[in-house]
Amino acid sequence: MTTTSTPPQTIETTASHDGLLERIKSMQSVWILGVLVVIVAVFGALSPTTFLTAGNITNIAQNVSIWAVLAVGMTFVIITSGIDLSVGSVLVVSSVVAAKSMDAMGGQGWSTALIGLVLAVIVGLGWGILNGFLVAKAKVPPLIVTLGTLSVALGIAQIITGGLDIRAAPDVLQDNIGYGRLAGIPAITIIALIVVVVGGIVLHRTRFGRYTYAIGSNEVSARRVGINVDRKLIQIYALSGLLAGFAGILSLAQYGTTTIAGQSLTNLNVIAAVVIGGTSIFGGQGSMFGSMVGLFIPAVLQSGFVIIGVSPYWQTVAVGTILIAAVYVDQQRRAAATRGKGVSTA
Amino acid sequence: MRNTITLTALAAGASLALAACSTGAPSDDGTAPAAGGDGNKEIAFVQGVAGDEFYITMECGIKEKAAELGYTVKTQGPQKFDPTLQKPIVDSVTASKPAALLVAPTDVEAMQAPLEQAAQAGIKVVLVDTTVNDPSFAVSQISSDNVGGGAAAFEAIKAAKPAGGKVLVISTDPGVSTVDARVKGFEDAVKADTSFSYLGVQYSHNDPATAANLVSAALQKDPDIVGIFATNLFAAEGSATGVRQAGGEDITIVGFDAGPNQIKALEAGTVQALVAQQPSTIGSDGVEQADAALSGGSVTPTIQTGFTIITKENLSGEGGDAAYKSSC
Repeated sequence: MTTTSTPPQTIETTASHDGLLERIKSMQSVWILGVLVVIVAVFGALSPTTFLTAGNITNIAQNVSIWAVLAVGMTFVIITSGIDLSVGSVLVVSSVVAAKSMDAMGGQGWSTALIGLVLAVIVGLGWGILNGFLVAKAKVPPLIVTLGTLSVALGIAQIITGGLDIRAAPDVLQDNIGYGRLAGIPAITIIALIVVVVGGIVLHRTRFGRYTYAIGSNEVSARRVGINVDRKLIQIYALSGLLAGFAGILSLAQYGTTTIAGQSLTNLNVIAAVVIGGTSIFGGQGSMFGSMVGLFIPAVLQSGFVIIGVSPYWQTVAVGTILIAAVYVDQQRRAAATRGKGVSTA
Repeated sequence: MRNTITLTALAAGASLALAACSTGAPSDDGTAPAAGGDGNKEIAFVQGVAGDEFYITMECGIKEKAAELGYTVKTQGPQKFDPTLQKPIVDSVTASKPAALLVAPTDVEAMQAPLEQAAQAGIKVVLVDTTVNDPSFAVSQISSDNVGGGAAAFEAIKAAKPAGGKVLVISTDPGVSTVDARVKGFEDAVKADTSFSYLGVQYSHNDPATAANLVSAALQKDPDIVGIFATNLFAAEGSATGVRQAGGEDITIVGFDAGPNQIKALEAGTVQALVAQQPSTIGSDGVEQADAALSGGSVTPTIQTGFTIITKENLSGEGGDAAYKSSC
């Protein structure tokens, strides 16, 4: 997990021209999409009248929306072989600053909400830049840096508020963003989807995205070919922070309160989703689509378990098992790919 | 790389289209037959946090009464007392369309909209123990008289320390209606009595380790604390540990709630009194109210249940009966 990790064991085969089918088979996100489809099918068969309803599917989508925004930044960070444990706390501190300012301003209208949004994003960006600077320039391992900022950000949120949640989201924010709908789809889900699509384009289609993979594959090589690795790392952590800040305002819109005591498992849930989706914790591999599939697996499992009435404890067991299985299958596939093409473990 | 991108884009597009299709007709919900209809004898119970003896005892009360009235019960609870974890559970329960939902909301604001949604889907919502800002959608609210409970906790400290002195409150998190009320009841009672001085409230975030740290730190600052009121199970467990860590002596700890560990602490003399709620009664009353709402009987909008003060002396009798269970 350190930035000076050993080079990945895989050989990059992306330069060669495989057939589309082989490429599809070799994608972790496709394998894991299959798992998701099976889970949905099983719950759908067990309780067709309740699980596969528009209302339930909309609820699931709504409930993963905030995590989806965080997962976009986390995907970038993990592809560089880094980690960002601070997202939940940065979310909280951003929403606290936004809520406090909006409370002080008074109004319930869009202008107040806009100021809140800008402040939340700025606060998030600030924490992200701090993380990035400490990782890239001070050479402190990302696990330690973000473990530290996790505590510091949460502590500052508690100092600002005295530990008391602020319930001051303007009405327009809650009515239109948190619980508003556009053509039946929750507004918060549409916003998250836009963030995800833009994030996916940046990751898969731009130079910034390619550099992200390059840094994660081999940081030393990336430096030698002239990539300003330090600056890119700061930008990537800044992106993760910025998105956490944005998620902060979404959280305010959805819950109407700053959830200071909550969000303590958010970072781990988001990391698990990204890793289940096929992003390698060693860096250099991953996709935005995979992360989204990885997010839906725990959410669908939870919803399904609640609906068919399975004890809540089994959900954590199931998610943990899938996490390990996903990474195991991924490792096997890569080992096979290294030995030679055409060997499929699936 | 290019093929991968195309594929990813395709798949993303496909899932988008899927999402759009499946969410195209949200108004179908209202006409769905199951919710609240005749023959639906299912009650869902959403706890504030899974694995807490208070909610388990409540679940026992619910199950007992439900069996008597011919209902089945499904219980769910979040891993932590956290609205961001409880909301998805409530949403899924709403989708499963039980006849009634007994729920302990984890935040007065955050759980408002999800529970309103459940009520709109035709589910009879009964708020047990905790409440929300505007509970008008609920058929009934059942909770302990928490202000009275806080005052009772002060009386217990006063009984043990008639000379007075410094008293401290270890609470869980701000914003939990029941706990805020307990603290208020205690505060008002302390302030009305001039022989006691109030050191304020510290928040343990429902974590015994944090409560222990807070108490041992408070004892560093004020070694002459005579009494601590711990507002819930975890706070009491942690306070007892904290007093022991700091080597504190002759401090009266009054806990709220009476789980097996508190009873043990009471027996060991670490905690001197417990204010026990009646979760089993809250649960069975909740089922009764839900049943009344479903069968068109008369519903009582708010019910307040009482307390039992447990000390070493009454543990074998009345006090012991009031202790919480870790399984039914």
